[in-house]
Amino acid sequence: MGILVFYLALIAVACAFGIVFINKRTGKKSLFRVSNSMQRKAEPYLFLLPVMLLLLLMFGYPLINSFIMAFQNYKLTSPGRIYFNGLENFRNLLSETDISLIIANSFAYVVISVLGQFILGMTLAMALNKQFPFRGIYQALVFLPWSFSAFVIGLMHRWSFNGEYGVVNDVLLRLNIISSKIAWLGTPGFSLAVVIFAMIWMGIPFFAIMILAALQSIPKDVYEASYIDGCGPLRRFFKITFAYIKPTVIVTILLRTIWIFNSFDLIVIITNGGPANFSQTLPSYMYTKAFSSYDFGLASALGVLLMVTLVVYVTVFLKITKYNKAGNF
Amino acid sequence: MKKKVLLALALITISAMMVLVASPSTEKRETTRLRFIDVSPSPTRQEYFTNTFEKFKQETGITVVYESVPWDDAANKLTVLGASNQLPDVMTTWAGWLGQFTEAGWVVPLADYIGNTKSEYASTVTELVWKAEQELYGNIYTIPDGMMVKGVFVRKDWAKEAGLNLDMKKGWTYSDYFDAVYKLTDPSKNRYGTSFRGSRGAFDPLFVYLTSLNGGSAYAQDGSTLLANQEAIDAYKRWMALYLDGCAPRDAINWGFVEMVDNFCGGLTGTLINDSEVAATCLANMEDHQWMVMPMPRSDKDGKIYNTVNAPYAYSISSTSKNKDAAWKLIEFLTRPDNNIEYCKLTGLIPIKTAVGNDPFYGPDGPYAAFVQQLNDPDMVVPVAFGPFNFTDMHQGMMHEEMQKYLLGRQTAETSLLNVVRELERRMKRYLAENPGSSVEQPKGLL
Repeated sequence: MGILVFYLALIAVACAFGIVFINKRTGKKSLFRVSNSMQRKAEPYLFLLPVMLLLLLMFGYPLINSFIMAFQNYKLTSPGRIYFNGLENFRNLLSETDISLIIANSFAYVVISVLGQFILGMTLAMALNKQFPFRGIYQALVFLPWSFSAFVIGLMHRWSFNGEYGVVNDVLLRLNIISSKIAWLGTPGFSLAVVIFAMIWMGIPFFAIMILAALQSIPKDVYEASYIDGCGPLRRFFKITFAYIKPTVIVTILLRTIWIFNSFDLIVIITNGGPANFSQTLPSYMYTKAFSSYDFGLASALGVLLMVTLVVYVTVFLKITKYNKAGNF
Repeated sequence: MKKKVLLALALITISAMMVLVASPSTEKRETTRLRFIDVSPSPTRQEYFTNTFEKFKQETGITVVYESVPWDDAANKLTVLGASNQLPDVMTTWAGWLGQFTEAGWVVPLADYIGNTKSEYASTVTELVWKAEQELYGNIYTIPDGMMVKGVFVRKDWAKEAGLNLDMKKGWTYSDYFDAVYKLTDPSKNRYGTSFRGSRGAFDPLFVYLTSLNGGSAYAQDGSTLLANQEAIDAYKRWMALYLDGCAPRDAINWGFVEMVDNFCGGLTGTLINDSEVAATCLANMEDHQWMVMPMPRSDKDGKIYNTVNAPYAYSISSTSKNKDAAWKLIEFLTRPDNNIEYCKLTGLIPIKTAVGNDPFYGPDGPYAAFVQQLNDPDMVVPVAFGPFNFTDMHQGMMHEEMQKYLLGRQTAETSLLNVVRELERRMKRYLAENPGSSVEQPKGLL
């Protein structure tokens, strides 16, 4: 109810500002009297105000609240026993027996998924950049995984990799690649591999769409000049193709890394972090802590650590890849 | 024109705000309205509740709104609703949540409401469920929806092929049970002896097996664990060997309730330890010659049957309810003999009222014979629960994760078992220290 009233208030404020500006443009008098110079200066901020208010409400409040909770004993099941406990949550977090395994899983999950999606997405984009019959239909088909929800993709992979009835074991057995059924979801290593496989499958189209758009914007005459100058295919790829699409690649990798690092839906659906945390990553662990032990303090401490890690990663990544200079020719 | 449109929009939104802010006064004009939440929804249950609520409205004029949440998300949803003071008036509640709910003050005591009607209820309710709640939480907080007792579902046709002579009336011991599981395992036919539970809830049947070594107890009077000894470790290994020796699919390390039942009914596994509610699924999906139910095995040590008896989704009233008396009326209506027996038949439970008489459905030839037989067995003992403290976090994580680590060869059986029982011991001792006058729960018999 409160939030609905807030939204309505927000719309009312936005309408009021709209009236002020329309009056200003039409030269009519208004209930709201603001001087011209003030109005001109305030104009951009006023336009931004509704969005800023929304962002503050939807992101700012939870962010600040979770930062505070990270330093509190905050268990949802004991609402009467909430108090500040200093760094206790961080100490508890780092002393968890499986924390090193979970960090290693997170690292493997992100690096392999992003690399896999990038390499396959790039290959797909380059293939689709050429003209061939029925390219449109093929393009629509390969982009299909991006339109599926993570829930559907998770269920699909959970059944495909089922140790007893799964299609993957069946195919591998028929091809004599394996001699006995593999418990994909019940074996350490394999369980994480299945989640990574699903994540790569789901994310390839995004890379392909982004890179294909960048490829199609490369001027044709640059390639023509390279052919005249006798440039080889490898050199042409690195000096022309990759150089032109580099800004897109950097942003796409950056975005996907953040998204994949934060995502836990596939993990929860396919393996639920099992067996024994062997496919658990930091965000899925945070979810488990928040919604199985209801320890919001510990989960918030983990959330704060994740946020800091991502801020450091973004800063370092943009520095290393020289994003500011990318695309300058 | 634009200005007029915007002005109108602003006025409309401000009016809407005023209406919304003023809305509590309009609620008062409505008739009594209750919210009811079902934590184990299915089309059958929803149809039953909807029809029953309609009958309730005709009799009392009270409207009941049906809400539901899937079982897997139920604990989370109720916890969030509880923390934000938005719990529905009447909730279906699993006994394992009561420690958390009573600690947080989310449910109201019902002893005064029950008053002198106790004699209307079956002894399973008064002597087991309510007695346990009195001991653990100091009052009665739930009215059972029906009684549920565990049994061993067995593939009758496989057992015959394997030369097993299983007699429900005679029963069996744990040694017989383990032997049967090994004999029913036949990899050449893609048959496994047991629906092994490796994920959430995996420690529950194991805990009962371990307490059978101590007459159904898990703690000494000072809260020290009785399960940290060589005998318990050997029993732990014996239980886990069913998985390690290949009597269950390797994927079973991740199996929960759904996978266990699906794979038993689907023809992959030969036995399944579970509650009577599964009988309804077997009746619907299997031929009569394919399955039977054996009582839970007797302890090899003292010959008694150690088995849990509980109400799966008992009714409770939330402390934030503004219509507690109306909520109680609804519970009374739901547990009235005619409504209760209809509900129990639909959901595979045993009725809670003595007035239901000797319905043939629950007789010696009915599908629930093995369950009812146990409830009438003088040797049946209900072992203690994990404890009166909040153990939800352990139940959803540590308990099965420690088992999985042993199954994967990452740690010894001793470490796995001791990690869990020592944590339970720590919580029990803290509970006893924080609640002077409280004592350790004792195993209970029916007769």
